[in-house]
Amino acid sequence: MRQIAIYGKGGIGKSTISSNLSAALHEIGHTVMQVGCDPKRDSTRILAEGKFIPAVLEEHREQLRVGKDEYAINLDNIVFRSPGGVYLVEAGGPEPGIGCAGRGVLTALQILKDLRAFSTYNIDVAIYDVLGDVVCGGFSMPIREGFAEEIYLICSGGFMSIYAANNIARAVQRLAKRGDAGLAGIICNSNGDEAFEHAFIPAFAKKLGTSFVQFVPRSPLIQACELEGRPLVEYAPDSREAEIFRNLAKAIIENDSRVIPTPINDLAELETMYRQCLAKK
Amino acid sequence: MEQEPIKEPAAPSASSSEACTDPYLRCAFNGAALTALGISNSALLAHSPQGCEYLVNNAFASQECDYMETMTLCTKLCVDEIVHGGEDILARTIREVKDLPISALFVLSACGPEIVGDDIVGVCETLQPEVKFRLVPIECAGFRGSQYDGIDIALDTILKKLVKDNVEKVPNSVCLVAPHANANPTWPADLAWVKQVLSRMGVKVVATLTHRTPIAEIENIASAETSLLLSHDAGQKAADYLSSAYGIKQVCKGIPLPIGMTNTHRWLTALGERFDALKTTEEMVAEGERMVMATCRRKWPMARFLYRTPAAIVADATVGIPLVRFVTEEMEMTPELVALYTSQRPVRELLERELQSLGLNPKVVYGTDVYKTRKSLQEVRPQVVFGSTIERHASEGLSVAYVIEVVRMVRQFRMINREYFGYNGILNLFEYVQNEWTMGWRSKEKRYGAKW
Repeated sequence: MRQIAIYGKGGIGKSTISSNLSAALHEIGHTVMQVGCDPKRDSTRILAEGKFIPAVLEEHREQLRVGKDEYAINLDNIVFRSPGGVYLVEAGGPEPGIGCAGRGVLTALQILKDLRAFSTYNIDVAIYDVLGDVVCGGFSMPIREGFAEEIYLICSGGFMSIYAANNIARAVQRLAKRGDAGLAGIICNSNGDEAFEHAFIPAFAKKLGTSFVQFVPRSPLIQACELEGRPLVEYAPDSREAEIFRNLAKAIIENDSRVIPTPINDLAELETMYRQCLAKK
Repeated sequence: MEQEPIKEPAAPSASSSEACTDPYLRCAFNGAALTALGISNSALLAHSPQGCEYLVNNAFASQECDYMETMTLCTKLCVDEIVHGGEDILARTIREVKDLPISALFVLSACGPEIVGDDIVGVCETLQPEVKFRLVPIECAGFRGSQYDGIDIALDTILKKLVKDNVEKVPNSVCLVAPHANANPTWPADLAWVKQVLSRMGVKVVATLTHRTPIAEIENIASAETSLLLSHDAGQKAADYLSSAYGIKQVCKGIPLPIGMTNTHRWLTALGERFDALKTTEEMVAEGERMVMATCRRKWPMARFLYRTPAAIVADATVGIPLVRFVTEEMEMTPELVALYTSQRPVRELLERELQSLGLNPKVVYGTDVYKTRKSLQEVRPQVVFGSTIERHASEGLSVAYVIEVVRMVRQFRMINREYFGYNGILNLFEYVQNEWTMGWRSKEKRYGAKW
């Protein structure tokens, strides 16, 4: 089973790319499970016709309240199938203001493993959509505990998204020594400044020691899909954007490279690199 | 016979120097448990994983609690409570014991529940109407600091939660603060000596914070005229609070605790002056000094063989600072190293005053850890170390002839509590020196290695 984690700055479009990628992978014949690793549990909304599905930790909490444990959870109550055929799971989180969300994500993943969710549904690609940033040790758990093996960073041409991607690469560098996890590539979700992004992001990927995998343009069609709660390959199967996600799915399946990244440790160096690219533009 | 030099441990890296790996001091959770367990007719609920309860057991032993009277409970948090929060299990545990015949239940939170945001104060307030005893939540996660910080946190909570206002002052009265922040492994004997002295001076002890203290004493603490701090390591904040909130003035402030002739004389005189009992003080001093000298004449302690021997003191400030004078004046040794576990400003000032008054200039290490102690011992090369079992190991291969184990940890189990304070305390310390000296001569290796 391929275990792919999508990381990036908050609001950069990880859930949009994960969902469209999951749908595209399913279209080319893979059995895909998308696991939302965010207490907000909105990762799978696009695949679930705009609805929020119940989360693993909600179900877990209910079982604990009646004195039972995770093995009392019925897989049908936490794994859902989208109309298009992608399996959907939301890790969820504790009640607001209490508990540890990072540890919660790991618990949810562990529950899926313990209940043999992946083998039950014969999953061959699992996509983990991990929240915002590596905000604390807890959120790096999917990497640390070996759930995420191939890590893709999403960024745009905005400096802060590059900065966040570099920070995540630092976390990957630290954690990669523990196991099989490695950085597999960078995906650009454009913020509109395509010329700059085409120039800078491949250079940034090279600096990290990885490859630039796909450019996703800014498009009203993608926004419309989000609103309608449907992935591109279903909503507009003949569109250029749908083709881009098909290409991304193929690229990811064909990409077997995983590297320990070489992030930029000095912020000034990153700023200089960014400024130089801006100046060229 | 030359000993093989042992391999030096690698220097700790900058990142590990902050790690809580040092055996000298335990964490704040331990200090808070030690304080809460000093209140009689109460129970302690550790809101923690079960490993932290080990610290409660340790505190239980140090406070000499009776398992027939004092119950300790634990919520035994597991990963589920870390993920979802442990407030439910805390509430359930409190409800399970709601009929216990106790006056207070102290709820102590450890690191895990504080990191995930469990609101133990909120849970206790919600459940207070359902239970028959007082619920006293103490937020004392281990990461808040050392055991001394935990003692301060617990004393602060206990005073703010339990003390009643508007009580009449009792003339010639005192409350004793932090007797348990003392590295004498049998510190209750020090407390007993202090109480005996105060009783002879006609001073009433209103409350002890804390050792076998009924909750009624704590409630009534504002009736004390004075406070007497029995530690240089913890409790100053509580004494300051009592002063500012209830006008309870601290006595013997800034004077080393009564270990050794001079310290005891000075400390007793300060008490006598405050409580108008100088005549009693003079009698106690005369009797005590006469008793010590007569005993020494009869028993012939071997201290004279250690005249001018270079010595090191590695201890908490409570025992360590007064011991400097004891080692210099009574033992007639030369302190060449003073390493204290704590490093607060009042501790530094007190030690510096003492060293200046004695005309000593030893190497001083504040906030020592085992690594620093080892390096200092290596540098100073004392012949005698006043410390603990830890220094016995830390001085391996350094030709230290005698390690006098006066602070915990100690090798020998001590069934009888023996004070360091006062005149019997001097004899007790002499005895430890004497025994170590004798034990040293039982070792052929040390006998041949000794310079004499």
